Amino acid sequence: MIKCALVLSMMFVSINVMFGQAKRPTVMVVPSDNWCTINGFMTEWDNQGTKVKIPDYKRAIQENSDLKLVTAKIGELMADRGFVLKVLESTLKSLQSESAEDAILTSKSGAEVTESPIDKLKKTAKSDIIIQIGWTINQTGPKRSITFIMEGLDCYTDKQVAGASGTGPSSFAAELPVLLEEAVLSKLDNFNTQLQNHFEDILANGREISLRIKTFSNSASDLETEYNGEELGAIIEKWLSQNTVQGKFNTTDATAAMMFFEQVRIPLFDANSRALDSRGWAKDLQKMLKDKYTLTSKLMTKGLGQASIVIGDK
Amino acid sequence: MKRMFKFLPILFILTAFLSFNSMAQSKKQANQDTESWKYEIEAIKTGTQGSYLIKVWSYSKSPQVAIEQAKKNAVHGIIFQGFVGRQGVSGQKPLTNNSNLEFEKADYFRGFFSDNGGKYMKFVSMTTDGSVAAEDRLKIDKKTYKIGVLVSVNVSALRKELEDAGIINKLGAGF
Repeated sequence: MIKCALVLSMMFVSINVMFGQAKRPTVMVVPSDNWCTINGFMTEWDNQGTKVKIPDYKRAIQENSDLKLVTAKIGELMADRGFVLKVLESTLKSLQSESAEDAILTSKSGAEVTESPIDKLKKTAKSDIIIQIGWTINQTGPKRSITFIMEGLDCYTDKQVAGASGTGPSSFAAELPVLLEEAVLSKLDNFNTQLQNHFEDILANGREISLRIKTFSNSASDLETEYNGEELGAIIEKWLSQNTVQGKFNTTDATAAMMFFEQVRIPLFDANSRALDSRGWAKDLQKMLKDKYTLTSKLMTKGLGQASIVIGDK
Repeated sequence: MKRMFKFLPILFILTAFLSFNSMAQSKKQANQDTESWKYEIEAIKTGTQGSYLIKVWSYSKSPQVAIEQAKKNAVHGIIFQGFVGRQGVSGQKPLTNNSNLEFEKADYFRGFFSDNGGKYMKFVSMTTDGSVAAEDRLKIDKKTYKIGVLVSVNVSALRKELEDAGIINKLGAGF
């Protein structure tokens, strides 16, 4: 009997610990686009025929030791506050192996949403917050100072949720790494206060994502097609109001062929206490359309917070 | 003369009592000033890991009481008030953003800021061992001194203490 109770209590504790750890928000530190441009760490990416410049994080980490120092210092301080820092290097490595695997897979027919390498990075890291950092060195005669900028972006919405910036004291003697460390130390507490406000908002109102509904041109039904006297668009809106936190969402655009919902507040966790992202949440909508109205649809996601459902084909 | 000697012990006890009473009164007044935010905090240095170096300006009839009260004011200010920065030194927000925290958790803070072994002493140290620079000792009227004292506060330990006691939320609490 005692043995049984002991085993049960140990199981309970381990489940608790497991879920407790899974729930901690994660952050990832990356250099800002501006910093990458100034320091020559940009690369070109072909976005469906258009050449766009994107930051080359891999080269930046490998070649700039100051960046490594700042990242490590932020990681150390965030760990003190109970945060897990996703290491950019490791994320890039796993992204690289995923890309290699993807390349040998045969793709299915149908439309695809183009994801930039940055979107893929966010999806692989699955971190809640990306901290973009950047700094410039100011030189006045023999004196040097650092202007440091830190922005906290919500990975799901790309909105800035925290920020800290400012110029540190000038110094004759201090080395650049010392000035950088000082800049991080003096900015991080205020930054974390803003982050805390953001987390409190997420806890109270849910995570924010956006959802786009489209129809394939060969689809038999569009968003104005009626089912039991109700238009498909209205059915989707009804589902949204039932499956968002306090029914919060905003219908930004609605036509017969497409609907766009912004500020959609989804629950943090599903029924099994697993973290929910736009894909996991939109899958339920896809399932509802299939089960109730026999509508086939294709679900595509961009990053963690943008989902698109295209009705009429797969 | 003999009669005078007879009264000497009584006079001594009376003087000691009065001076102790005056000190206690000053201390009580200083505690009231802390509760009514009658102190000022000036940023000195914030870029050191886990601690802030600040100058706390406290008011009291007794300079000694003001110097001692500076420690309590420093911790009080960092929890509830924060401080503004100046050129080259970042200001800091308070540890709580709940404007009613001192009332909601009054029982905890009564013990925390107690003059007899209050825990606040654990997180604060005076960098000048209580000595005050001449320009930081101002007599603002006949009775009151305004004293500026350099104080170092171990903010990371203070935050941890308040988080562990459930007074403020941990970063990302609830996830």
